[in-house]
Amino acid sequence: MIFWLVFFFTLFLASLGYASYKSYSKNRSSDEFMLAGSNIGALLGFLTFSAALFSAFTFMGMPDFFRTHGVGAWIFLALSDAFMVFTLIWFGYALRKRANITRYRGVAGFMQTCYQNRYVGYLIFTSSFLFLIPYVAIQIRGISIFLDAAFPDLLPYWSWSLLLVILMLIYSEIGGLKAIMYSDAIQGVLLLGVIWIIGITCLKMAGGLETALLQVTDSNADLLSLPGPKGLFSSPFLIASAIAIVLIPISQPQFTTRLVILKDLKSVHKMAYSVGFFAIMVILPTAFIGLYGAVKYPDASTADFLSNSLLFDQAMPVAALAVVGLFAACLSTTNAQIFALGTELRSLLSGTDPQDMKITKIGIVVFSLIVLIFSTYMSDELVLLARVSFTGTSMIAPVVLGAVIFKNPPKSLIFLSSIALGIFILSLAGLVPNKFFDLPLDFLMYILLSTSTLILMLTHHFSQKSTHVN
Amino acid sequence: MKPKIWTIIVFAVLALAVFSYGIVFQASKPAPSLWNIPFIFWSSFLITVLVVLFTFLGSLFFQGEEIEES
Repeated sequence: MIFWLVFFFTLFLASLGYASYKSYSKNRSSDEFMLAGSNIGALLGFLTFSAALFSAFTFMGMPDFFRTHGVGAWIFLALSDAFMVFTLIWFGYALRKRANITRYRGVAGFMQTCYQNRYVGYLIFTSSFLFLIPYVAIQIRGISIFLDAAFPDLLPYWSWSLLLVILMLIYSEIGGLKAIMYSDAIQGVLLLGVIWIIGITCLKMAGGLETALLQVTDSNADLLSLPGPKGLFSSPFLIASAIAIVLIPISQPQFTTRLVILKDLKSVHKMAYSVGFFAIMVILPTAFIGLYGAVKYPDASTADFLSNSLLFDQAMPVAALAVVGLFAACLSTTNAQIFALGTELRSLLSGTDPQDMKITKIGIVVFSLIVLIFSTYMSDELVLLARVSFTGTSMIAPVVLGAVIFKNPPKSLIFLSSIALGIFILSLAGLVPNKFFDLPLDFLMYILLSTSTLILMLTHHFSQKSTHVN
Repeated sequence: MKPKIWTIIVFAVLALAVFSYGIVFQASKPAPSLWNIPFIFWSSFLITVLVVLFTFLGSLFFQGEEIEES
């Protein structure tokens, strides 16, 4: 096992090193460093978007989600992702059209320019900071749980997280966003390959799809229907999840920025349906692993189930590849998000180029340290924590949508998003109930938020002479 | 013609969303199964494939492309 681990890690680190070397340029501007020269093709764009989207949360969280809550997990993530990529066809166009007019440096700065308002930039940055930090911490927490369970005596628990963050800082510092994108491409391909090998192996060990399903029907038939054995997949939960996921590229800067820096609209569109196809291909084998877990490890803890199904039940080279694949998946999402926070910080600065770069680089190190500390306090509910992060960031979606639709967007949208974000934060702190009339708060908030946004936009549209789109 | 097809695609996806969450995903039983695959799984898988297919078609017929290039 150790031999295979060293072998695959060496290959992986060598490819990361090569990506950093290829991306390094001595006299690059901050735009080249932070936005990869804004000339990314469809293939690299698709792989970097997919790698940023699918992570340790998919690799580890989804099998456990299928095992615990049943087949409704497909609707929760795969179908929601499909609706999200469909939205990209229009949103990618509207965003790029508006970003072409202003000098895009990041979503926060872009919003300040569109609204001619400084506060909106701080609102976007605060939302990203508050909800991306826990999301990144989830990834690091996930990989640490897994590696610690798999190799209990090899390294202290925290050192896995530290190793990951140091590695990320080194190659992003050398190569900037371009190095991150190349490494995302490597990690995306690796993730897809590894998850299929493990998925097929698990399916075979469970006796094939039909046999496994029959066994689950006998042991826990609720896993095969809605709302699942624990009643999680109710209609309001699934609808609210779909909305939160559809809004990810609109409200999470690492995705918004990736849409802007692709070289043309054709590349954005190619990327959109490719990510949809990738989503199906990546999530399907996690259902197989979850099904295997439901048959063989129905009552095991998350860590035991994952370490057994992904490692100890696999052939040694596959297990080693799984460790490297998981590490890579975690790394790609972590670097995308921390770098995005750096981009957002830079977009709010107004100093000289070298000054802004210096502050941004320090910012990236500080964000990494905060994530590292935060990861030790996270719970093990990876998927549900990720969902909180999606929902939290989605509260600023009305602001971003207003900016890409209107030439002079209504400032009332800033007020609306601020109130929504405030209520959601208060609900997380337990100061606002998370259920009203037996319906989850996020579901109700989406109803109120979408209705209010529509009314504000229609009122604004009829009071204005021209809009940017159409 | 292109804008018309794009509008049809948008309405098709919206109708599919309403139909899925409003009718299909209400079922509490695993029947009717397909090769032992429970109803919720195969139906949601099929709908996902359809939406991705609509995304591909949407990328061909979206009218914004000409506007941006011109």
